[in-house]
Amino acid sequence: MTDSLSPRRIMLVAWREFRHTAFTKGFILGTIVLPVVLAALFPLLGGLLKSTPTPLTGTIAVVDASGRFASALEQSLQAEVKDEGPDAKDPFSEPVAVQAKVEAIADASRTDALRSELAAEGLTALVLVHADPESPAELLVPSSSRPRHTQRLERALRDAVVRLRAQDAKQDYDHLLTLMDAPRIRASRVSRDGAEARESIALRMLVPVGFMALLWIAVFSSANYLLTSTIEEKSSRVMEVLLSAVSPMELLAGKMLGQAAVSAVVLVMYGSVALAGLGAMAMMDVVPLAHLLWVVAWFPIAYLMVAAVMAGIGSAVNDLHEAQSLVAPAMIALVLPLALWLPISENPNGAVAVAFSFIPPASPFVNVLRITTASDPVPLWQVLLALGVSMASVVAMIWAGARVFRVGVLMQGKTPTPRELLRWLRSR
Amino acid sequence: MSSAIAIRLHEVRKRFGATEAVRGISMEVARGSVCGFLGPNGAGKSTTIRMIMSIILPDAGHIEVLGATALDAKDRIGYLPEERGLYRKMRVAEFLRYMARLKGVPSRDIDHRIATWLERLELPGVSRKRCMELSKGMQQKVQLIASVVHEPELLILDEPFSGLDPVNARVLTRAIDGLRAAGTTILFSTHQMRTAEDLCDRVVLIHRGEKLLDETLEGIRRRFDPRTLLAEPMEDASAARAALRHLPDVTDCAWSDADRALQLRLDEAADPHGAMQQVLQAVPMRRVELRRTTLDEVFVRLVGGDQQVLAAQEVAGD
Repeated sequence: MTDSLSPRRIMLVAWREFRHTAFTKGFILGTIVLPVVLAALFPLLGGLLKSTPTPLTGTIAVVDASGRFASALEQSLQAEVKDEGPDAKDPFSEPVAVQAKVEAIADASRTDALRSELAAEGLTALVLVHADPESPAELLVPSSSRPRHTQRLERALRDAVVRLRAQDAKQDYDHLLTLMDAPRIRASRVSRDGAEARESIALRMLVPVGFMALLWIAVFSSANYLLTSTIEEKSSRVMEVLLSAVSPMELLAGKMLGQAAVSAVVLVMYGSVALAGLGAMAMMDVVPLAHLLWVVAWFPIAYLMVAAVMAGIGSAVNDLHEAQSLVAPAMIALVLPLALWLPISENPNGAVAVAFSFIPPASPFVNVLRITTASDPVPLWQVLLALGVSMASVVAMIWAGARVFRVGVLMQGKTPTPRELLRWLRSR
Repeated sequence: MSSAIAIRLHEVRKRFGATEAVRGISMEVARGSVCGFLGPNGAGKSTTIRMIMSIILPDAGHIEVLGATALDAKDRIGYLPEERGLYRKMRVAEFLRYMARLKGVPSRDIDHRIATWLERLELPGVSRKRCMELSKGMQQKVQLIASVVHEPELLILDEPFSGLDPVNARVLTRAIDGLRAAGTTILFSTHQMRTAEDLCDRVVLIHRGEKLLDETLEGIRRRFDPRTLLAEPMEDASAARAALRHLPDVTDCAWSDADRALQLRLDEAADPHGAMQQVLQAVPMRRVELRRTTLDEVFVRLVGGDQQVLAAQEVAGD
């Protein structure tokens, strides 16, 4: 006796599954509204986060018997502003403006009095100049000093020490700085049609990982929905009511189809936002159309593999707590591509990458990472063989998942042991 | 092809691990009849019903439902399983529409049928409610609607009365009567003998996976010859009891508060009519009658030797 498969019933189950997952507030907020809002906010993010630091004001006392350091520090405080600009370290912050005056103190006996004045916050900073070349200057700031002010003073002090060394060596410090200034090199990529785009090495490394992560998130979010909805149908005892109207195979097919649509929505939404972000940065050329097509080709394979596993687990257990014991081993195999992304990214045609291309359920994710990372193309035979192996694996996993599903949906009581699961696989 | 038989089982067997739940059951349910599928807890009723529904498959034997398999005839069968459940967050009407569509009811008819059934089962104003907001009895009625909304030719009800209060049980009984009048074949399992007696044309009794009885109610009453007389004495019951207990055909005589009469258990070989004559001659009586055999008595007689079964019945509160 074989199960009948009615397309009408499968589509009805699929539509209910999709509707009750995708038409919920949580899903709409998380998968549709949030990406749209993020995409809209991205250009505004820099402006919103940008801050203007409080200027450095007050008096900086410099205790220096020679009387040369104060002048050098004053020059450094003014000159150093350009090094702290938006291009330097913090893109979201303006440089610290210096409005403080530098006061030279030649009499070292006033040091204790000046310390007391600093502690009472009467001074912005106290600089003690020593004869020791290893430690030529000491900076003291009150406990209320802002970190960025302290950082600014430290850098100015270092600069002032070097400035004085240059003077002692009869060199023009500003001229030396000009000579030593290493220019920025602008790298651009030129596409086949002659268009130029600014190069970003980090982004180019991140895009393939992004492809894999996108596939992973889309597949796992809906497979997780499939797991929870199957458990819910079992625990609420609606399963047998459904099985009076549909066969187990129709139910499984409908549920997997409905959640595949959910997964596709996640993929499209987050993928569109990612592409929009790259477009805004004029980096669309790092995502060739061929790569997008490969992601689309591997998506159903990845989804069906993971969904078959999750549906089988969902049917075998009574609640989410029990599911964890069965999901954990499956998850280890499934997170492998994420754990191996670095070695695979660095050597997409290496032994590790090639081997994992053929091992389900990691294969779809590893293949997407390899194809989108490799500067040299991945050998076509490897891609086709991996596709073939993965498709055969999909058939085997769906068969096993369906066998477990068919028996498990009606089982109540303790979680099945691996031996019992094997018996379910062999049952009629 | 239309046959006079709605359900036909031949030598059906099912084993779960070391337990043989169903042991070679054969039975037939005629079209348009109401058949009670009786047995104590754990007798194999639900397993047999699940096999009839093709939800699980038999290890051996053959099952025919409406001339085919239940899978092929799914849209013509209504089924209320013992394990009842609803989508908790779904609204009642939405759930019923979903089930109706799965059963192939034309879209234009769905809302009308749902409204009619909600009214018939005295569930006004619940269609917009979420299933989890309903009481257990109301949920049970919604589930019954889900099993009949497509107007099935065959309706299989697994313990339909369990958990229902007397008022709702009466509503359900009326609904089943209505379906019977409309020609629907009904197979329902229960271990409430009184209900079965009220509703069934035929009874199949199974115990430990084996069929013990398969007969019409009339046949059962004939077959299980009555062996109890009820005698209400004109005067002192104690004296009457002392006189009657020594009659040759009486094996036991005791007062029954429920019957307001003496209950006389007769010997297996006794002629009930002759025994009645002896009673009338021995003591002046207001009435003497031959008690009608109940399914309860038949049930206890057939499976009552099993103390474990009786204990299970008591625990189940039957």
